[in-house]
Formats: sequence, structure tokens, C-alpha cells
Amino acid sequence: MTSKFYKRLFLLPGLLLLIAIIIFPLLFTIRVSMANWNVSHSGLDWAGGANWARMFHDVNFWSSLFRLFYFSFITTTLQYILGFTAAMYAWKGFASRRFFRVLWLVPLMTTPSVMAIVWRSIFREDIGAANGLLSKIGIDPIAWSTQIFPATVTITIAEVWQWTPFMFLILLAGLLSLPKEQFLSAEIDGATPWRTFWSITFPLMAPISIGAIIIRLIEASKIFDSIFNLTSAGPGNSTETPAYYLYTRGLREFQISYGATMGLMYLILAILTLTILGQIFARVSKPRGI
Amino acid sequence: MSKITFTNIGQSYDKSPDQDTWALKPISMTLDSGKSYALVGPSGCGKTTILNIISGIVTPFQGSVAFDDVDITKLPTAKRNVALVFQFPTIYKSMTVEENLAFPLVCRKWEAAKIKSRVGEIAEQIGISHKLNRSANKLGADEKQLISLGRGLVRDDVTALLMDEPLTVIDPQLKFELRKKIKQIIAGKDITVVYVTHDQYEAMTFADELLVMSLGKLVQRGTPEDLFERPNSKYVGNFIGSPAMNFFKAEVVDGLAKIGGYTLSSSADLKQVADPYLEFGIRPEHIEVHHGSGDNVVTADFFSHDDLGSTRILNCRFGTGVIKVKVARSFEVPNHGPINLKLPKSNLLAYREGLQVL
Repeated sequence: MTSKFYKRLFLLPGLLLLIAIIIFPLLFTIRVSMANWNVSHSGLDWAGGANWARMFHDVNFWSSLFRLFYFSFITTTLQYILGFTAAMYAWKGFASRRFFRVLWLVPLMTTPSVMAIVWRSIFREDIGAANGLLSKIGIDPIAWSTQIFPATVTITIAEVWQWTPFMFLILLAGLLSLPKEQFLSAEIDGATPWRTFWSITFPLMAPISIGAIIIRLIEASKIFDSIFNLTSAGPGNSTETPAYYLYTRGLREFQISYGATMGLMYLILAILTLTILGQIFARVSKPRGI
Repeated sequence: MSKITFTNIGQSYDKSPDQDTWALKPISMTLDSGKSYALVGPSGCGKTTILNIISGIVTPFQGSVAFDDVDITKLPTAKRNVALVFQFPTIYKSMTVEENLAFPLVCRKWEAAKIKSRVGEIAEQIGISHKLNRSANKLGADEKQLISLGRGLVRDDVTALLMDEPLTVIDPQLKFELRKKIKQIIAGKDITVVYVTHDQYEAMTFADELLVMSLGKLVQRGTPEDLFERPNSKYVGNFIGSPAMNFFKAEVVDGLAKIGGYTLSSSADLKQVADPYLEFGIRPEHIEVHHGSGDNVVTADFFSHDDLGSTRILNCRFGTGVIKVKVARSFEVPNHGPINLKLPKSNLLAYREGLQVL
């Protein structure tokens, strides 16, 4: 028995686990995407690239993807800006720091679907609080769930409310870990708070910001529960995202193979997008100079 | 440049009324404009507290601090026009070396052309001109520390340069070079420098005057020579110099020290002292190996020696303790056994309860 054998033997449990939870499901999904598995016909027959061809011509799928780009980009950007602002406030100790921190975590502790129901009641067109408030300041009621733009805004608000605390938490942790001397030096050098932020705080926070944004983008791209509970992808399918579309085709209509195909496409696009974004972020945040 | 005046400054971090527990016991002193000072002492002696009070990082619990007789006790750091060099190099990581050096001037809204020439000038002085477009973060700790210093000096309105153990994170072989360089850079400027260190060599080679601190008190202030030749307390005798000063107890009879059958005369006027039991101190550097007898010559028992490179330390038993003698390398180490040592009168200092008797 060589030491090589033992090395491999000890690696085996990990490898088996990896096969069981990642490699097998992935390979199985690829195989399923090339079959005709649906509600009336189960099993792994051979359909070749039929599902893939169908997907490339499926306008609903592609438009849901573009919508997702919008949702994840807008919500993550808003979450980042709001989260960073709040973290700066908490960091500078403007508000009672501990109180502020706990308060900011409340949305994160609530269940997204429960909150979606709360938001739905707020945005009810007849008796909702949102329209009630608007009418108080003389604005006509808005059709929150029956018009495309207001429905999009509703989901954006719910998502931003739910996940800004996550950004806040990570960015505050980042801010608290920054060396104090840098800021004292900047103060002595005569930098205004605004310049200190742009020249020192923001660049120092780049690695943490990139991490937080990437994590949020991954999460945001899976957006489902708020859409399911708030608009059910409506009006029509104007707020439908790939996760929701996959759910409808794959689990409601039981088009297992077609769902698998879209799932794979979504995975490929997600990996590509995040890789490109990662590269861009790395290039932008690189310190100047050679 | 600026004269720095401390008036009854004391600092207690827990605001205790008991002065014995204060980090800095009340002190009044003046640091003259354009001179360099080193605050030395072990960890926790209050040296950084003094520096932080000058820089404004710490507002003293009591007393006032003034720059050129203008009270600045309540003024924030940014308004004091001081340059600070911290223990860990403080550079702006996202910027190039040039941008780092230019930052204080950009903040002061200087014209681009003026900034360029001033940065060039300072870069030349700190010897970093060839690296101006490098990323500051990629430089070594010593160069980063020079940039921290350069960023302080680039402003033309600096009143004082404050350095808090700036060489601590520098490799030993670079330490010496960097210290020399910092000294050279500062030498050309009329600037008040306060340098905190726990390293006596650093302090003695760097500063015009040393302030030796212990337990929140200023123990002695003086030139390196003053502290070496005339330590006012056993504490300074032990802290400054390597090896530390030799101390031994002796009985005083008729103004002379009696120890182990020898009668020694000291620089102090011992006739005035009522207490017959005193301690005497002499630097290892001042003791001479003597052939034959004479005034202030004692016989000790030489039992070992330490090699320090250019010098050697002879360890000899004398009285109830050990006396160390520093000799040049060229000195031939004698056989173990009796050795005659001359303790020159002018260098034999007397101490009572830890303090020098004059």
C-alpha cells in the first residue's frame, strides 16, 4: 500500500459527497434536457437538441432574462447605495450605533414571503396604505399591481427593503475593520469629508464592496418569492423572471426536460455574467500605478 | 517650526482623581522651536500620551498645550498643522507614490504645476523620485514610511513633525539606513521634531535632546551626553547605556565611600549627606583596567567576558555584586582572577533612594 493510495482513500468521502450533491445532479440535468420528460411522458428517452432549439426561440424566456438583468442590477445598486450610506452613518456614530445596527437587521430576520404579503397589503390598490398616503398628499391612486411600471416598482421596493440590511451589515463590518490612522492622516492632510470618502474610504472598501455586490447579485438573480407573492409575475408576465418562468414551466406544467434546459442555460449565463463582472470590478478597483 | 509649551498637563484615561494612577502625571515643559526631541522609556511610560496630546489625538485631562504661546488644547488634530508618522506606514493604497505625496497639496487646492514641482522636490529629498508612478502599496515598509514622512513634509506650513516609533516595523538592516535618512531629511529643515521610541540608540542618535520617561513621569531631560555622563537617577543609569550603569552600595565615612576595604572618592559632595549608606554608580565605559595601585583603584575578581564585536565586557565580582567593564576589542583579555580597576573620581556618581546626590 503506497502513501498515494491512502491519500486517495482519505479524499474519497469528500469526492463522493461532491459527486452526490453537485456532479450527479448536474450531469443528470444535462441528460434530462435532452429527453422528452413531461407531465404525460416520464423517463429518459432521447430528444436530442429539441428542447434547446425550443428555448432559443422562446421569447418569454429571453424577455424574463432581460427583466432579471434589470431587477438584479437596479435592486443591487440601490441596496449598495442605501446600505453604504446607512453603514457610514452607523460607523461614524451619528446614531446610537448598537440600536441602529439591530434596527437595520429586522428586515433580514423576517421571512421574504411573509414580508411580501405585508407589502402586498400595503400596495393593495383599494385599501392599501401606499395609495392611502398618496391620496393624503393629493396624488391619484396608483394601479400597483395592474400596471407594468408600478408593479416593477413594487417588487423593487420590497427587494430593496428586504436586502439592504445585508449590504449594511457587510459594509459596516468592512468599515469597522479599516485602519484608523488612514483617516487621521487624511484629516491632517486637510481632506474634506467628501474627499476622504472618495479618495480613501471608497477605494479601501473596494474588495468588501465587490464581495457584497457579487453575493447580492447571485441572490438577486434567483428572485422568486417576492414576485410569487406580490405580483405572481403579472400583470400578464411583465414581472416574470427566469426563476418564476422555470417554476411555471417545470413544476406547474411539469415540463421537466424543458425546465432542465432553461435551468442549464441560466446557469451558463450566470457564470459568464459574474465572471465578466468580476473581471471588470477587479480592473476598476486596481490601485493606480505600476 | 513652533515652540511647544506644556502647562501642568496631566492625563488620566479613566478620569480618576488619584494622580498616582494617571497615565501622565502633571508636567510643565517647553520644547524649543526647530530642535528634535526623543521621548524614550518602556511601554506604558506615557511617551505616546505626550505625543498624542501634542498632535491632538488625545485631549488632556488637565492643563493646556500651546504652540508658540497660542493655546491649542481644544484644537482638533487637522487644525494643528502637525505632520504625523505612525508606527505602521500610512499610505493611501489606491494611489501612486506621486498621488500620495501630492494629496495634502491637492486638498489645499494648490495649482497643478506648483504641486508637481513641490512633489518632485520632496521626492528628491526622500530619495524616491524614480518610483513616483509606482503603486504606493507595492513598496517596502521602509519606503512606505518615507512616503508617510514625505506627505507630512510636503506641506510648507508644518509646525511640528511627530513620529510614533516609526522604525518598529522596519527590518533591522534597513532600520539604521532609514534612521540616517530621516535625520538627513529633517536636518535641512527648521522644524520641531518629537520622536517617540523605546530604543535608546534610536533616541540618542536621532535627537538633540532626550526626555526619559517612567511611569507617567519625566525622569530626566537632556542631551545624549548629559544622560550618559550624568544620569540623575538610577533609572536613567539603567535605561540609558548598554550594558547598564554599575551600581554598588557603600558606607560613607568622612565624605568618602568605603567598600570592601577600599576608600573611594566620588564626584559628589558627600560631606553634606547625613545618610551614611549610599549607592554609587559608574558606567562600564569609564572604568579602566589598571596596573598597580593608586587613588580609586580596587581589586576585583574577573570571572568571565562577553564579546560584543567592537568591544568586550569584562564581568568582575566586586563587593557583594558584579561590576562590568567595557574595554576595546584590542584589549587583551587577561586570565580569570584578580584584576585592578580604576574607578575615576569624576565618573563615580552617588545616589540616594534612586536619585543622584550632587
